[in-house]
Amino acid sequence: MNPLLGYLQKVLSGDEPPHRVPLPAAVAPSSAVFLVLRRMRTPLVVLIGIYAVSVLGLTLVPGRDAAGSPWSMDFFHAFYFMSYTATTIGFGEIPYAFTDAQRLWVTFCIYLTVIGWAYAIGTLLALVQDRAFRHALAVQRFARKVRRMGEPFFLIAGYGQTGRMLGRSLDALGRRFVVLDIDPSRIDELDLDALHADAPGLAADARNPEHLVLAGLGHRHCDAVIALTNDDEVNLAVTMSAALLRPDVRVVARTVSPSIAERMRAFGTPVIINPFDRFGDYLRVALRSPAAFRLMEWMTGEPGSEIPPRREPPHGRWVICGYGRFGKEIAADLRAEGLEVTIIEPGSPAAEDASIIVGYGTEPAVLERARLTEAVGFVAATNNDVTNLSLVAAVRGINADLYVVARRNDESNARLFDASVADYVLVPAEVISHEVLARTTGPLAARFIEAIPEHGEAWAADLVARLTERCGERVPLLWRVRITPSDTPALAAALAMPDNDVTVEELLRDPRQPEQPLRAVVLAVVRDGKTLRAPPDDYHLAIGDELLLAGRRSARQTLAANLHVAVTREPRRVRHAHGGWLWRRLVRGVR
Amino acid sequence: MNLEKVIFGFFILLAATLNFGFFIGEIGDPTHHNVYELFAAVVVNLIATVLKFGDRTQIGAVHLATSLVADLQLIAAAVVWGYAVHVAEAGLDSHAMASIVSLSGGALFANVVSVVLLVIETVSFHRR
Repeated sequence: MNPLLGYLQKVLSGDEPPHRVPLPAAVAPSSAVFLVLRRMRTPLVVLIGIYAVSVLGLTLVPGRDAAGSPWSMDFFHAFYFMSYTATTIGFGEIPYAFTDAQRLWVTFCIYLTVIGWAYAIGTLLALVQDRAFRHALAVQRFARKVRRMGEPFFLIAGYGQTGRMLGRSLDALGRRFVVLDIDPSRIDELDLDALHADAPGLAADARNPEHLVLAGLGHRHCDAVIALTNDDEVNLAVTMSAALLRPDVRVVARTVSPSIAERMRAFGTPVIINPFDRFGDYLRVALRSPAAFRLMEWMTGEPGSEIPPRREPPHGRWVICGYGRFGKEIAADLRAEGLEVTIIEPGSPAAEDASIIVGYGTEPAVLERARLTEAVGFVAATNNDVTNLSLVAAVRGINADLYVVARRNDESNARLFDASVADYVLVPAEVISHEVLARTTGPLAARFIEAIPEHGEAWAADLVARLTERCGERVPLLWRVRITPSDTPALAAALAMPDNDVTVEELLRDPRQPEQPLRAVVLAVVRDGKTLRAPPDDYHLAIGDELLLAGRRSARQTLAANLHVAVTREPRRVRHAHGGWLWRRLVRGVR
Repeated sequence: MNLEKVIFGFFILLAATLNFGFFIGEIGDPTHHNVYELFAAVVVNLIATVLKFGDRTQIGAVHLATSLVADLQLIAAAVVWGYAVHVAEAGLDSHAMASIVSLSGGALFANVVSVVLLVIETVSFHRR
């Protein structure tokens, strides 16, 4: 950029983030054009040479005019003749019929130009087929799309099962995202996915910071970087690049390894999601407070989807089959809740542990040793879907009252697990996707979700009842409203009037239909840095409050309209008060 | 010695010298300016332009720009010549000839810039 322009912009805007790190220049976007030009150099020189020789020859070869007197072609006619001959149009011999000498030369020229054109066109077609050229074009298109992003977007590194699930949810919420994945076939899938908004995708290694920059890490609208690849090292590299290049951007990273998580924490404050650990936490919340668990499921679920009420996990002895990373996390969490745990694991090195039964869970004799008839819960935690499904069927046959948790690894088996009789199916991809969704809605929502278990069963049950009454059984949408004169002019104006109080109940009342409250609930109010969760209906709002609401999409729209434009209710008719800025000015001017 | 550099320098210099050869002489006198020389200048300039394709450096971009200017002026001169001989009533008079030669003079200036750039590039290469 012009330094003067840059200076002017800095002076005029004034709100430049103070710790902006200069970003490396992304790959020059015009590389595809240069590639074409460089490859076409030789064919073009050959073509120019052939034309020059042909035209020059035509002007030199002796001819005769209509009267038979000696004549030789001038450059104008020679170029004209060669132009239509070389392009195989062929208007004939003009201006005069050719002599034999001229015909001899023209025969030679015809073959020469055909070779020239074939060479040039052949090179061009080969270039279009060329992988390097196609890649250059794809990069260029991707960079252009990212550059033109005019609204906040997420940068997702890794578009596997989890990434796709998250992408679809984000799309349904009307959020934009950019995808980086090392596997080109996944980027192709992104193009085939039926998304509402265009999501730019590039097949590139996310470990390379240049690729991250190309994908919009330096973009002012980049809202969060989400690392979801299967490789923990790559996720660590993405976390690191994002923290160093854009410390002001939120980072969410997936990992199943505690040591990698520790290394990630060295770079700023990334949100680290370990699906197994997180699921264990859920299970603990569910054991302690079913209502709080239900609330958490709603807060992290995909808005609009239905989550059927679950059986409450029982207290007693649990049997876990499979003692890998997931099994260990679950066992630790269950033990932390004071429950007895029996583990079935083939070839366990720690055989001296009395609670571990060595053997394959699929063998009836091994299952028998686990005394399933006396247990209350069972977790099929192996990394093989077929094993998990057969375990679920087997243990149900032994003890029909067992609470069965099954781990699903592969998306393609979703139908089988739905049809199985498991009480709870754990899908790591789903856990991550839901966590990311909840974390990226905003820090207010994230803090609220984290604080749910602290409030106890009665509080959670009350909130669940209120949500069910107002919004139904579907997962509500979460959103945030800040009461300021610019964001909510109508409400701010009402609050600014003396002796005028607006309560939470009045906020959620549509003046057009006063008998029916809006299908939304205020979950939290932040005032002066203090958070009040689940405020009572008669809570008085004030300017500067920040609200977290949950409810239907329609309620959000109605509320947004009412907060913006005051609606007054008069007998028998509802009329909009003078709404827009211009109209208010005009009305004031007339008065 | 790099053969590519030899060819590159050769065509740039040849473009400038041919252009100069056509330009020199009484400006309005058709006998002082050879049509074959103009033809050669156009062809060599076009080849020089293509040889400059695909260089992504700053100096490469300026090189390409000077060549494009020279091409434009020389082709304009050739078109004026064709128009004067075949279309215009007056034929190739001193007025038309003066237009052609002054156009080629503009191209000559661009070609001189090109040669200067070539010299600068060479000198800075040696100093490095």
